[in-house]
Amino acid sequence: MHRSRWFASFPLALGLLALRPSTGAAQDPRLERRLDSATLQSVSAVIDSARLQGLPIESLVQRALEGAAKHAASPQIVAAVRRLAAELGTARLALGSASSPMELDAAASALRAGVSPADLTRLRHRRTQSLTVALATLADLVASGVPPDSASAAVIALAASAGDDQIAEFRRAVERDIALGAPPAVAAAVRVDAALRQTSGATPRRP
Amino acid sequence: MTSDAEIVRRVRDGDTAAFAVLVARYRDRLGRYAVHMLGDRGDAEEALQDAFVRAYRSLARCREDGQFGPWLFGILVNRCRTAGRRAARRHRMFVRDEVSLERASAPETSDRAEWDDTVRWAMERLAPPLREAFLLKHVEDMEYEEMSRLTGTGVSALKMRVMRAREQLRALLTEVERV
Amino acid sequence: MFDREEDVLDRVIDQLRRPVEMDPTLDAAVMSRVAAGEDRLGRLAAVWDWVSRPRDIAVSPLAGLGLAAVLVGIVVWLAGRSPQIAAPAAGPSTVQFVVVAPGAASVSLVGDFNDWDGGATPMQATRNGALWSVTVPLTPGRYRYAFLVNGSRWLADPAAPRVQDDFDAPSSVVTVGG
Repeated sequence: MHRSRWFASFPLALGLLALRPSTGAAQDPRLERRLDSATLQSVSAVIDSARLQGLPIESLVQRALEGAAKHAASPQIVAAVRRLAAELGTARLALGSASSPMELDAAASALRAGVSPADLTRLRHRRTQSLTVALATLADLVASGVPPDSASAAVIALAASAGDDQIAEFRRAVERDIALGAPPAVAAAVRVDAALRQTSGATPRRP
Repeated sequence: MTSDAEIVRRVRDGDTAAFAVLVARYRDRLGRYAVHMLGDRGDAEEALQDAFVRAYRSLARCREDGQFGPWLFGILVNRCRTAGRRAARRHRMFVRDEVSLERASAPETSDRAEWDDTVRWAMERLAPPLREAFLLKHVEDMEYEEMSRLTGTGVSALKMRVMRAREQLRALLTEVERV
Repeated sequence: MFDREEDVLDRVIDQLRRPVEMDPTLDAAVMSRVAAGEDRLGRLAAVWDWVSRPRDIAVSPLAGLGLAAVLVGIVVWLAGRSPQIAAPAAGPSTVQFVVVAPGAASVSLVGDFNDWDGGATPMQATRNGALWSVTVPLTPGRYRYAFLVNGSRWLADPAAPRVQDDFDAPSSVVTVGG
């Protein structure tokens, strides 16, 4: 009786919730100031949905603001924000729901660069510390021309033993080598070998 | 004009003061390379001084008296490499030094002075091995075999470095025009 | 400004080949070092003779261990001093952005760190307006950005990695800290 009434009203309540205008992003004055009302509504819907899923939303706001700054058409802005939201969702599936917002943002960049979700999961399994630097390195290496699978292989190889500083130094070394004319995949392979030798030297195995 | 070979012989025979003639003769010519390689006049003067002093102290090792210039230049190239590594450790960034940019002006046409800044910035963006190869090839007019003897790097690697330097300079300086 | 890309390189090379005048007082500095070195060289040669003369030296095992410990300590100290360009743990780093835009009336830096606001971070031109630069504090993170020339033309940073763009206008990325 009481229970069945509650069950009956539950879908109605959900429906009402869905119809409620988005208030989350509408509260962000940056978007209100820069987007026309139609674009604002569509973008806000995407951002609210992302927020409900527990995804970081700041990068979604920034992507919309970038589109506004570049005078992109409304459909382009909405598509860009949707795409990023999807990438953040994929990143969270790959890395796990306990991932930090910074990790998810970095992972979304890596996915956009062509790194596979499976490689993100492998990275999570290899490294107990925060993945933010490793993921940003991955994205930066691909942006510098290292093929995604080479970049993934290199960073995954370093993930277990190298600290954040060493991973950042590895990226700088690869970028220097590329600037000197080394093919990007070769540069990554050579530098990861050197970095692994360094980390294994620093942490000698117990007999 | 007394030849380099004659002056080197005199210095070896004990006439130290004669070395000053070689210093005056090569100062600006070698200074040009050091300034462009190191991007800083103070560092360039230091590297140049070091190179001259080392050349004096190892004059006995200058194999043929007639090759003093190239031999001295080889010493300078090495001094610039050492100086460059030291400067990199101090994390200096070229354009951050706004004061030296202002100070380095000469009474030139504004167009030329504008290029001076721009070229210096672009050269500083090149990795040192690329910058070195570019300067040796295009400013010092060296042949690749000569560059190889000087730097200890193979000819094909040097050609690759010059090509990369050219690509990067083009990318840095023509980006604005492509849009 | 340029008819062909090759014109740029020709102009660069012309600029670099122009004569450079070094400070003529350098000559005197060299010669005084040369003169000082002649006195010192004689003394150095004597020291080297003494050092390189063959000798028998007895070292106890304990002294040997002590020496090894000192050497290890020196190596560790030297390693710690190797150059590290690291930002402070969580605080902002200052990052300088530079772009070549001769003849531009205005250039601004626009990106994730200033809400893509074209007016938030104007860049300063060097003396004759070819080089534009600005320094901004950035907390650790990864930021997309681009340069806005004359309020309407977007430029990626030729000195930074590109990122895939959603809006038909180029963007670059900078990673800070970490």
